[in-house]
Amino acid sequence: MKLVESRVIGACMALCLLQSPVLAQDSSYEIGLGKSVNDWLTLGGYFSTEYEKSSDEHLLQLDDVAVMAYGEFNKRFSYLLELESVNAYVADFERDTRSSNFPPTIERLYFDYKHSDQLSVRAGKQITPVGYWNQQPINVLRETSSSPRFSREMVPKFLTGIDLHGFAPLGGDVTYHVYLQNSRDMDEDNINIKPESHYGFALAKQYGNGWQIGGSAGRFKEAVGSTSGTRTATRYWQLNSRFDNERYSLIAEGIVNTESAPGVGRARSKAVYVQGEYRYKPRHSLISRFEYFHDTGAAVPERIGILGYSFRPVFPVSLKFEYQWHQESSNNRFVSSFSVLF
Amino acid sequence: MRIVLLLSIILVSVAEAAEYAVVVARNSPIETLDSERLRDIFLRRRSFEGDVPLVPINLLGEEAVRTRFESQVLQMDRAQINQYWVTSHFQGIKPPATQASLQSIKTFIERVDGAIGYLPISMVDDSLKVLHEF
Repeated sequence: MKLVESRVIGACMALCLLQSPVLAQDSSYEIGLGKSVNDWLTLGGYFSTEYEKSSDEHLLQLDDVAVMAYGEFNKRFSYLLELESVNAYVADFERDTRSSNFPPTIERLYFDYKHSDQLSVRAGKQITPVGYWNQQPINVLRETSSSPRFSREMVPKFLTGIDLHGFAPLGGDVTYHVYLQNSRDMDEDNINIKPESHYGFALAKQYGNGWQIGGSAGRFKEAVGSTSGTRTATRYWQLNSRFDNERYSLIAEGIVNTESAPGVGRARSKAVYVQGEYRYKPRHSLISRFEYFHDTGAAVPERIGILGYSFRPVFPVSLKFEYQWHQESSNNRFVSSFSVLF
Repeated sequence: MRIVLLLSIILVSVAEAAEYAVVVARNSPIETLDSERLRDIFLRRRSFEGDVPLVPINLLGEEAVRTRFESQVLQMDRAQINQYWVTSHFQGIKPPATQASLQSIKTFIERVDGAIGYLPISMVDDSLKVLHEF
């Protein structure tokens, strides 16, 4: 679908919903849960601001501003639309520049059909159902302001295609996804990788004691003219595990990519991160994360250590501070953010 | 001493006795649901029982029956539940609908196909079927 067409469809859909008489109905509002107008329409959104200081960067930015609309047409059909402005305003104190980028892009636009608990179909632009971090990509839902390189560089964050998903017929609490993309992204602004095709599967299992495990495998081919400059095909194998209780959470994810491009040959890259969170008081937590990233094209692997603090007066409002130690010390930086889901 | 012991046993028994029940309409094809499946239904991870689309219904506010349902069936406190639904909001999933009173929950379950909710056992009559007591 052409970019302009898809944006027009998204804008028309938002306009139709806003002009719907259902808005005349009254309902209560609770921060973080959106404004539920009726079954057809819930409105919400989020924003985040970020301050970053390192030896060669000094930025203050209105990082993300987004609005969402979603609802259920009946017990089986539903939809979600999300429009987002990325880097809506950036003040670069190091270079003494200011910039803004307000026109929103389509972050998500999909329709769901629930056939049964074992089979649902999602069609449209959606978050790729890989791992944990990728599926909670917005600042306010994360434990830290920054995201690991694992989530930024290894797999396309978004999928414009079809995802079949549900509880696996194996019994137990096992869920699956089988996903396929065979076109360019619906809106290629602000995506990390621009594939022209992508397919894969993911499995996850929850245990009653707070543990979850999962994994995925897939293949994507980058479109000509994407960031890499070549038509790279990448296979990936990914594993993830998570433990949560009232006081602690522990998350670990790892991935191996094998990339091949005409005339270039094969390369392999690996990324792992382990993150722990200690909620030492209600609303306050300390976070530490260790990341390892190794691209065979790079001379040395990168290691990053992060120590952070998070304060949430209520869960959908988050104030975070972190310091990052990089292998290359000139990349060390302080990052803080304030974010709200409404 | 024996009287104190006897009273203690009686008090503990009363405290642990089931006072509430998860119910569906008498004519519902659903016969049983284990607590794990109930949890999934009220967290909207599952939406069907067989071919029947389910409509979970919550009591508005923080009445005792809801608090007990959340702690014993969902096995979550209010902060954990709030966190869960905030995260779900980003995924486009809303919490179950609410009704303002126990009587309106009972009426809702009797009239809406697939409705499932919880009530004090004392309110359960021939129009309802008990799936789980807590």
